[in-house]
Amino acid sequence: MTALLVLILRIALAIALYAFLGRIFLTLWQDLKQQGEFLSSQKKPGIHIHAIMDSGKDIQRRFVQSEVTIGRDPNCDFPVIDEAISAHHVKISYHHSQWWLEDLGSTNGTFIGKNQVMVPTVLITSDQFKCGGTTFTVLVDMVNNKILS
Amino acid sequence: MNKLIQSRLLQITAVFLFLQTLIITLSPAVRARTWDVDYRLSQWIALGLWGLFVARAHYDITRKLPDADPYLFPAAALISGWGLLTIWRLDSNFGARQALWFGVSSTVLIAGTRLVTIDFLRRYKYILLTCGTFLVALTLIFGTNPSGSGPRLWLGYSDFYLQPSEPLKLLLIVFLSAYLADKLPSRLRTIHILYPTVILSSIVILLLVVQRDLGTASIFTALYTVIIYLATGRKRILLISLFLLAFVGVVGYYFVGIVHARVNSWISPWNDPTGSSYQIIQSLIAIANGGILGRGPGLGSPGFIPVAISDFIYAAIAEETGLIGTLGLLSTIGVIITRGLRAALRAPDLFRRMLAAGITAYFGLQTILIVGGNLRLLPLTGVTLPFVSYGGSSLLTSFVALLILINISNHLDIDPAPLPKPQPYLVLGTLLFVGLFASALANGWWSVIRGDDLLTRSDNQRRIIEERYVARGLLLDSTNSIINNNKGDIGNFSRNYKYVDLAPITGYTDPIYGQAGLEASLDDYLRGLKGNPTSKLSWSNLLYGMNPEGLNVRLSIDLYLQNRTDEMMVGSSGAVVLLNAKSGEILVMSSHPTFNPNHLAELGTKLQVDPGKPLINRATLGQYPTGTTIMEPFVQALTGDSTANESFMVNVYKAFGFYQVPQIQLPTAPASSEADIDLTRVSPLQMALASATFSNHGLIPAPRIAMGVNTPSVGWVSLPALGTPIEALQAPAADEAILSYLVENQTSWQHLGQAQEDESSFTWFIGGTSPSWQATPLVIVVVLEEDNIRLAQRIGQELLIDAMNP
Repeated sequence: MTALLVLILRIALAIALYAFLGRIFLTLWQDLKQQGEFLSSQKKPGIHIHAIMDSGKDIQRRFVQSEVTIGRDPNCDFPVIDEAISAHHVKISYHHSQWWLEDLGSTNGTFIGKNQVMVPTVLITSDQFKCGGTTFTVLVDMVNNKILS
Repeated sequence: MNKLIQSRLLQITAVFLFLQTLIITLSPAVRARTWDVDYRLSQWIALGLWGLFVARAHYDITRKLPDADPYLFPAAALISGWGLLTIWRLDSNFGARQALWFGVSSTVLIAGTRLVTIDFLRRYKYILLTCGTFLVALTLIFGTNPSGSGPRLWLGYSDFYLQPSEPLKLLLIVFLSAYLADKLPSRLRTIHILYPTVILSSIVILLLVVQRDLGTASIFTALYTVIIYLATGRKRILLISLFLLAFVGVVGYYFVGIVHARVNSWISPWNDPTGSSYQIIQSLIAIANGGILGRGPGLGSPGFIPVAISDFIYAAIAEETGLIGTLGLLSTIGVIITRGLRAALRAPDLFRRMLAAGITAYFGLQTILIVGGNLRLLPLTGVTLPFVSYGGSSLLTSFVALLILINISNHLDIDPAPLPKPQPYLVLGTLLFVGLFASALANGWWSVIRGDDLLTRSDNQRRIIEERYVARGLLLDSTNSIINNNKGDIGNFSRNYKYVDLAPITGYTDPIYGQAGLEASLDDYLRGLKGNPTSKLSWSNLLYGMNPEGLNVRLSIDLYLQNRTDEMMVGSSGAVVLLNAKSGEILVMSSHPTFNPNHLAELGTKLQVDPGKPLINRATLGQYPTGTTIMEPFVQALTGDSTANESFMVNVYKAFGFYQVPQIQLPTAPASSEADIDLTRVSPLQMALASATFSNHGLIPAPRIAMGVNTPSVGWVSLPALGTPIEALQAPAADEAILSYLVENQTSWQHLGQAQEDESSFTWFIGGTSPSWQATPLVIVVVLEEDNIRLAQRIGQELLIDAMNP
């Protein structure tokens, strides 16, 4: 009788030990799941890019992905036919709740006003930047950012 | 959120430790198998103290460091509580001291939560390391050892001891992290940055080597290597360090005694199980005894392991909670390592990152080193299991390290410092997890695969405990009268030998002198290992960690005839065997002089040097010369003549089985060889079996002494004879050969003989029922180690008549 009671207690002891470890895994998994849901629910504002070439020709495009490359290469997300633009000239990407402009080591550089873009720079609506002979204007969509906060 | 996770985990931990305390409380009742015992209560103090301090620390951590990692503290609280209860269960004095240290360590942790920053560690790195080294250096002069002997690694003041090498580990990590964090960004060549650390660390390690604290010295070397590797990201540092360690190991093996002994007992422990490998073998036996499920807290016998409270606490935990428990323990340490490395990667600056990783490496490496040592995965080094082992300095250091780790983890909102090379951190994590995994595998190997081999070793002292708690089966005679039974109550059982004069045959079972005779050969039945259903065996093992009650064994001995024999043999040296000539059942087996096994403890080794050799069972182990006369009936049976030349005698001995060892559950003398006829010696049992041919129509029966065993499932089960009957003569030839030896109205035959050897004389009497005897055929042999035909004849005749007229 004594031994049977203690056997039950011993089993309970083992269960408690593994409940401890199980609880850790459960919360870690919940954390992981939450993070996944958080990231997928994060609303990313789309970006509207308006390119006006010196020739007067203009192109407009709207993007919803988080990374846009601009260059002469036809594989770029936004290919532009302009001799003064490098194959992969500039990258516009969304992270840290902002759209960022980053020069990809282009030959002729990227300029905001008179300043050359040397480090990733935040873009906001109606910002303009110039690559070669083309001027780009960006319009960032408005989103309901309640989830983000 | 963090607060909730931490409090839930601590609640589960409290339940776990509560159950453990409760089981320890009830453990005496399980051992005694009754509720009426003195319960163990004192360890509730430990649980109470644990609860108070942990609750307070939880409150302060969640309030002052709200973003701290919620897994680190519960994991450390679980294993330190587990260690505390294990130490208390092993020795409540040490348990009380450890509880006190747990209180001190928790108080430091609670006070430390008020620290906003740990930057002062970085600023005072030189002072801290110098103080630590100075304290260790002091032990060279003022060092003591709390146990009175052994390496003097402690600084003592009255009853308070500090082992300075423990805090020095943490101080070295702090120093290296701070120094490297200051110097690394300076773009000096790595070698210029490293050489001051090499010099400082070498001084510290040399100091420890001089002190003979080799375990700690190897921990320091490993920690130094890991931190330099983390800082530089060069794998060759790991390789160089490994090579150096191996080199130092080899040099140490040949020139330093203690290294030589440790490595030897690691590579080949089985060669010296009572000497240098005693500890490791006892540790492995304890782990094997734990098996998968463990014996239960308070129910194992980890007290047999030397220094179970500190160096071998892992083995003690393995015995009582089994593989299930140790896997949980290793996983919990794995949680600390994972969360520690995570805190390191998320740390806001290089100093904190290396400090957190260094502390994690310290917990992980030291765990692997001592657990591996307990499991014979690594050579044994006397380091502590962090948080678990007994030792105030170790516990306090672990808690301060934990405090630093928790503090570093409390910066999640700040962006982590950039990490140019993540690989070293991943390599460190992989190494530590491989170590833990290898320990888990080794634990499984010893407790499951090699378990039975280890438990049946003669140096497994748990058998002695079991003999005291589990009633041994009785030895009964052919009419179920008791020969040997047990005396004392449960917990104090010991063997009681009711019929003392059978001692050379039935032998004894004793915790000091081992086992002999039938007690040894029938041990499996008497201990309940054989004959019980497997389900009952495993159930009893699960419940009590012991075998079920032993089974009674019935012998063929007839105590009435045995008693008559022993009365007549008093004062003589020699042996008597009376057996059923047909079935081979031994009714009387007497060997004199005899001894009283009830007084084995007092008689002790005197018996072994007694010139009368009372321990020897002369009936089966005695080797007596036959002389010529006693062989007459045998020779006559083969030739029809009573004389034979030497070469023909070989045929006689061969035909009557004298060159064969009787198959019986008793130790027997080796048979003589045919090569030298003059050296032919026979045992009384052999002579009795050969003589049986004349009473049993030419057949030599297979001897039997253990007749049956009383099993719980089907009652008495017969134990068959071990040998087979042999036809020595054809029935008519045997019946005719004995005609000239018949006496007393032709119902029995007898023959006397004498033999001489050196200065000694021997008298033989053989006799038996005549072939025409209708009842049980019997045969008797008497050997006296003196020239006394009258006595031999009197014993033989009287016994035969008694046996023929029951």
